[in-house]
This record gives sequence, structure tokens and C-alpha cells, in this order.
Amino acid sequence: MIRLSPLTKKKITRFKSIRRSYWSAIILLFLLFSSCFAELLINNRALIVKYQGEYYFPTYGDMIPGKTFGMDYEYETNYRKLKLTFKEKNSGNWVLMPPVPYNAYENDFIEGEYPPYEPSLASGHFLGTDTAGRDIVARLFYGFRIAIWFSMILLVINYAVGVSIGALMGFWGGWFDLISQRIIEIWSNIPFLYIVMILSSIVVPKFWMLIVLMAIFGWMGMTWYLRTSTYKEKAREYVMASRALGASPLRIIFKHILPNSISVIITFIPFSIAAGITSLTSLDYLGFGLPPPTPSWGELLSQGTENMESQWILISVVTAMVTILALVTFIGEGIREAFDPKRHTVYR
Amino acid sequence: MLNYLIKRFLLIIPTFLGITLVVFTITRMVPGGPIEKMITEMQLAQGDGKASMTSAVAGSTLSDEQLQELKEFYGFDKPILVSYWEWLKKVVQFDLGRSTRYNDPVWDTIKSKMPVSIFYGITTMILTYLVCIPLGVAKAIRHGGIFDNLSSILVFIGYAIPGYVVGILLVWFFAFKYEIFPMGGFTGDEFEELSLAAQIWDITYHAILPLIAYMLGSFALMTFIMKNSLMDNLAADYVRTAMAKGLSFPRAVIGHAFRNSFIPLATHLGNSISVLVAGSFLIEKIFNIDGIGLLGFEALVEKDYPVVMGLLVITAMLTLIGNILSDICVAIVDPRVKFQGVKK
Repeated sequence: MIRLSPLTKKKITRFKSIRRSYWSAIILLFLLFSSCFAELLINNRALIVKYQGEYYFPTYGDMIPGKTFGMDYEYETNYRKLKLTFKEKNSGNWVLMPPVPYNAYENDFIEGEYPPYEPSLASGHFLGTDTAGRDIVARLFYGFRIAIWFSMILLVINYAVGVSIGALMGFWGGWFDLISQRIIEIWSNIPFLYIVMILSSIVVPKFWMLIVLMAIFGWMGMTWYLRTSTYKEKAREYVMASRALGASPLRIIFKHILPNSISVIITFIPFSIAAGITSLTSLDYLGFGLPPPTPSWGELLSQGTENMESQWILISVVTAMVTILALVTFIGEGIREAFDPKRHTVYR
Repeated sequence: MLNYLIKRFLLIIPTFLGITLVVFTITRMVPGGPIEKMITEMQLAQGDGKASMTSAVAGSTLSDEQLQELKEFYGFDKPILVSYWEWLKKVVQFDLGRSTRYNDPVWDTIKSKMPVSIFYGITTMILTYLVCIPLGVAKAIRHGGIFDNLSSILVFIGYAIPGYVVGILLVWFFAFKYEIFPMGGFTGDEFEELSLAAQIWDITYHAILPLIAYMLGSFALMTFIMKNSLMDNLAADYVRTAMAKGLSFPRAVIGHAFRNSFIPLATHLGNSISVLVAGSFLIEKIFNIDGIGLLGFEALVEKDYPVVMGLLVITAMLTLIGNILSDICVAIVDPRVKFQGVKK
């Protein structure tokens, strides 16, 4: 167990006392946790199949051909059909499907009708389907999983680079500071969208490539804050003391200065996560993000704009976006308050 | 102060050169430039043209000489640094070149889109200040109350959603579903025939939805800067002193705390010169407004390099100067601020 310092404990208590942020954090953590097991909640593979006295768990692992369950095909079992067949035969075999029995990539067509299909409880498409007949609940949830992990990985890379360079700028100062400032100024004026568009005309951007690309143009934000706070900390006695004891610059930065400016970093995290989700969505919306058919909010958003008469697409994706982004922002607000030692006393 | 400003202005030069050189180099190295575009267009034109092509000509549609001429025309025949130097010489004389798409002077194209940007930029700015300052003040005075909490929720939700998503939602609800507002455009179709009053109304009518989308983003920041700085001042010693000598709370707020709380807002004032070329192209795309944002995006997609570079020159200059102006603003409003050498 990690021993928490009394100060950290105080911050946690303070965060908990802000109800809105506390509950947002719980809901978001729950969603994040359940997104790790999305395959158990939203999937076209069954959770459990009982066939002739044996149990099968098809969710993870290789696909099970239809022959295994007495169907007449070699390709992957259609578990929704299997469930109906077992029910008709009524021979003690059964199938347990996940709450939403569709996969994010699967096109489910109704004969004689063109997608998008309206939401209906009977078909199991609780929020309807998109223009390719794919279930919107599945697309939203898997899209959420990709977007949130995307922006968390991006955040780690951005902060690692930005914090190190910012701290060095503040610590060394002088020419290094001046030149880095110019480089950052130049770098942040290069239109990012331009680079992405050029690259996507040459290669199709994959998950990791897009992260690296966005990190190359996204690390600058943190440097300014770290630079200022390192300048402040550097002038204090404890830094002078450890320097007198012979500590190397790197040791001073990472062992002494960084822990003291950690609050600057932490208060920015939620807002950076929200920004990461937003920028991935915008890129997908424009068609320069992750390649189709990756489930993505941006792609659904552009479908919703083009098919405004199928309003369930637009309403679902906007609601999902607003909910997640608002949760993240509320958490950010709470963290900021918890880290702010100021108590305002007003004399009325 | 003067020394500091001169230093800052001199630092603009290397930064500006760096930005333009990097983007200029990228435009040169990327495939799909204007020449390749022209070649494909010619191939297409000949492909379905009636002229019976002999196989010798069909192989390469342009002779080497023609290709050379084209390269010279666009300045692609020289090394990057040489052609950058030539481009730079022209820019210093305020000549941004001609668009490869329309063959119009780039400066005229940008100038023609500016009124839209200025209109939306300035209106957004004024409305934001008009709403945010009173809201921030009200929230600071009633800190912790129901009003403060409810408005915080709304402001934070508005901050969390990107403006263009709000735009999509507004268009769907107010224009598509209930047809209260138009689907988009800067003015209606019969704008020229309307009387002045009707013209003003027409612009306003078209501007309401985009303005909401534009405002939501900057809303939260301004409101909270105002609120926090007023709260800092309310808790300051000089307000306590003012109250101790018998001033009422409202008079202490208006007479003392209020004026000091505007200082942080001044840090954003300098960058407002960027409204000249303001405009988010996503919002412009959704509301079908023909502004700078859309121009820049289309220039990127069509690889219209002179326009891309021209816009870059203008936006980079405005941001760099805007940053210095912001510093000056702060120094004017807050006499405690003194700059020496490079800011630490």
C-alpha cells in the first residue's frame, strides 16, 4: 500500500467533497473499466453456449465454426440464429447472448429495407443503426474505448516530452531557453491539419502513427507552464541546498523540482484528455483520422450531419460526446479546486 | 520597457522566418502539387477527348520542355532555399503571389473574405465580454450558491463540447427540424434587393446560430477568469480595510475590487487583432459561411500553395504581434508590471 502524505489526503478529501466532480469521476472510472470488457457487453459472439452437455465460451479466442454446434457451415457461428434454432428445438441446448448482441463492424440488414434503421427494442438495436446497418450502441461504445485510450496514451507522451523540455528550459535558462522558445513558437504555428492531410494522402494513418503524429505537434502546450514553475522553484533555498550538496541537474529537476510542480501538471490532465478526444473526433469527422471501418464518434457525427432526417444518429453521438466530455471537465474542475490552497474569505 | 519591446519586436523576425521556411519546405516536398495536378487533368482531358491519340504521345502527355516551362512558372525548378528567398523578397514588398487555382492575387482573395471574419470575430468578442463580465461578477459575489453551481454546470458543458458540434446540433434543431433559422450562409439570396433595415436584419438572422457556436468556447475561460480574479480581490486586505472604515459591501466591490479584477482580462486583449483573419473552418463549413477558415481549408485540400503561404504569413504575423500587444496592454493596465530583458 502506498503511504499518502497528509497533504495528498487533504486534497483527496477536498476532491470528494465536491459532489459533482466526485460522482463524475466514479461514473467515468466505471465506464473506463467496463470498456475493458466491452466484448462481454456488446458483441455478436455469445457469452456462453451449452451444447450437448458441454459449455463453450466463444467471446475471447478463436472463432468457432458453425459445424461445432450442428449447423451446416464452416464459417463463424451466427449466435443470434443459433439461439433461435436452439429455442425451436428445445433440447436442453441454450445460448446466452450479451446485452447488445451486435458487433461494431457487423452490417445487419433487414430484408426489403435500406439502412439506417430506427431504434427498436425488438431487433436489439437500442439506438438504431448507422447508414451501413451497424449498431450505434456498439459503434459508440467501441468508439469511446478507442478515443479515451487514444487520448490517454497521447497525454502520457505529450506530458513526458513537454514536462522534460519545459523543466530544462526553466532550469538552464539563458540561451537554451531563448532558442527553445523560438523553436516552440515556430513549431506551434505550423498548421497541424496540413501535415495530417499530406500524410494521409501518402499512407493510411494507423492508431499508433496518428498518436505519434499528434504528439509531435502537441507537446508544446505543457512546456510553458513547466518553464514558469521551474523558474519559480529554482530560486528557492532547497534547490540551492541540494546543488551545494552536489546533486546533478537531472537529479535536482526530477527529484526536487518536479514533485513540487506536480500540481500544475495534474490540474491540466483532465482538460488535455478532453482535448485529445475532441481532436480525434474532429479528425475523424473530416475523414483524416483513423481509417474506416474503425468505430469512431467523428465518423458517426459526419453521418448524422449528412442524414439529418435519421435524427437518432445525430442525437446519440452528440449525447455521448456531451456526456463524456462534461464528465471529464467536471473532474478537471474538481481537481483544480482540490489543488488550489486558496480559501476565499469575503468580508460582508 | 522600451528596450524590452524592441527586443521582442526583433525576435519576431527569426520566428517568422522559421515558420515560413518550415511550411515552405513541406509544400515543396509533398506529392500532388499544382504541376502533377495539371498533368492528371490533361491526361483525363485527353483520355475522353475525341482526338485519336498516337501511342507515342499518349505515353507522356507533356513534353519535357513543357514540363520545364511549368516548373519555371511555379518556381519549382530552383533549389528550395533559392525559391524561398525569391518568395520572401516578394512578401516583403507585400506581394503574396497568385493562387494556382483561380490565378487571382492571393492578397485580393484574402481581403475579400475579411469582412465576414471581422464581423464574426468582433461580434463574438463583444458579446463574450458583454455576457462574461457580468456573469463572472455575479458568480463571484454568490460563490457557492445555487446560481453559481448551476451556471458553472452550464458553462463547463459549453466549454467541453467543441463549437462545431454545437453548430451541428443547432442546425439540426433550429433549421432542419423547426425551420426557425436558415440552414446557413452569410446572407439570404435576395440580399441585394432589400432595404438597409431589412439587410441588417437579414445578416443578424443568419448570424445568430453561428455566433452561439463561436461564443461557447471562449465563454468558460472569460467567465472564470473574471470570477476568480474578482474573488481574489474580494478576499484581499484592501477590501477588508475599505469595509472596516465603513464602506458597504456593494460600494467596496464597485469602487475598489471591481477595477482591479479587470487586469487578467487585459492579457487577452492584444490577441484580438487576430479577428482580422478569424474563423473556424469547421463552423464555417457547417453554416456554409464563405470566410477565411474555409478558404484556408480548401487551399490545403486543393494544394493551392500561394494561398496557404499567404494565410500563414498573415496569421503568423498577427499572432506574433498580438502577443506583444497583450504584454503592452497588461503593462498599461497594471502599473506594477515592469519588463526587464527577457521575461522570466
